[in-house]
Amino acid sequence: MKLIIDETRCKGCNLCTLVCPYKIFQEGTKPNHKGVVVPVLDRPERCTNCRLQKLYGRVLCGVCQMICPDQAITWVDEDPYSPEKVVVEE
Amino acid sequence: MKDFREWLREDRMPHIYCTGCGNGTVINCTLNAVNQMGWEPENTVFISGIGCSSRAPGYIITDSLHTTHGRAIPFATGVKLCRPDLHVVVFTGDGDLAAIGGNHFIHACRRNIDLTVVCMNNYIYGMTGGQGSPCTPLGAISTTTPYGCDEAPFDLASLATAAGANYVSRWTSYHVKELTRAVKAGLETPGLSFIEAMVQCPTGYGRRNKLRDARLMVQWMRDHSVLMKKWKQMEAEGRPLPEDKFPVGEFVRRHRPAMGVPEE
Repeated sequence: MKLIIDETRCKGCNLCTLVCPYKIFQEGTKPNHKGVVVPVLDRPERCTNCRLQKLYGRVLCGVCQMICPDQAITWVDEDPYSPEKVVVEE
Repeated sequence: MKDFREWLREDRMPHIYCTGCGNGTVINCTLNAVNQMGWEPENTVFISGIGCSSRAPGYIITDSLHTTHGRAIPFATGVKLCRPDLHVVVFTGDGDLAAIGGNHFIHACRRNIDLTVVCMNNYIYGMTGGQGSPCTPLGAISTTTPYGCDEAPFDLASLATAAGANYVSRWTSYHVKELTRAVKAGLETPGLSFIEAMVQCPTGYGRRNKLRDARLMVQWMRDHSVLMKKWKQMEAEGRPLPEDKFPVGEFVRRHRPAMGVPEE
């Protein structure tokens, strides 16, 4: 699984940077095409949900997904042969 | 098992709430709780009044009623008494529930109708531009109280407890796991269950009260909420209760006779 931020929904409130226990979400610097500064992901492979969601069959921590007021954070299945394992979806 | 995001109307997203508004968090928590109950969208109804919080049912795929100001609970009473097999959840705000709908609220608590009322308390009237509501804290600045509010605020959770609701709890939008658990407990309880969710309003309340962005407001709520157990301990020891803090947790859980519960 990989963690993505949906840039069409994120409004840049940075609440995810407050709650993530691993500090995966970091404040962004560059505004995107909508003028929203979307948080950037710092080594998202550390996220417990990415690693263990399939094994346990349930969402483990998921506080970032729950607190996101714009429903922008989600986990998707990743392509097993992609060279870059985790990227922010453009 | 379904994901709670399947309950959202994807074609209506992104929603109109401001950056960092806590209402989206409360929608997530409520939908997660409803999803954990295993209910079907066909048997669930979301009802709301007027306000920012009351736009929430518009983003949910179930049937919903967007009713007049303050009258969400009377409409919900009608739905529940007409069709007791439906699961009725009411989304409401503090201006909707406490100000204009105050009488409807206390009488719904007294009658103990089988509803779940989720109140998003953001301290002000957010939609009309930040006017002071019955829940504005003492000394807080709003559009209609530019020198600081000098009226004592309503304590909605204690009001519901005194009026006779079967399940009452209060959490903030920082406590997402606990809020989900509280809404789920409210959905399971027959009779009126009231969940007060303190949410941030960075646009209308925070920026006038030295809390510039959503993160500062969430941190403020995290630091000023005291768990119920600790609050009661402080009361029992006779220590002075801090005036700027508020208790969070489960206020009451009891089994008064309820109205509108489907017969088995």
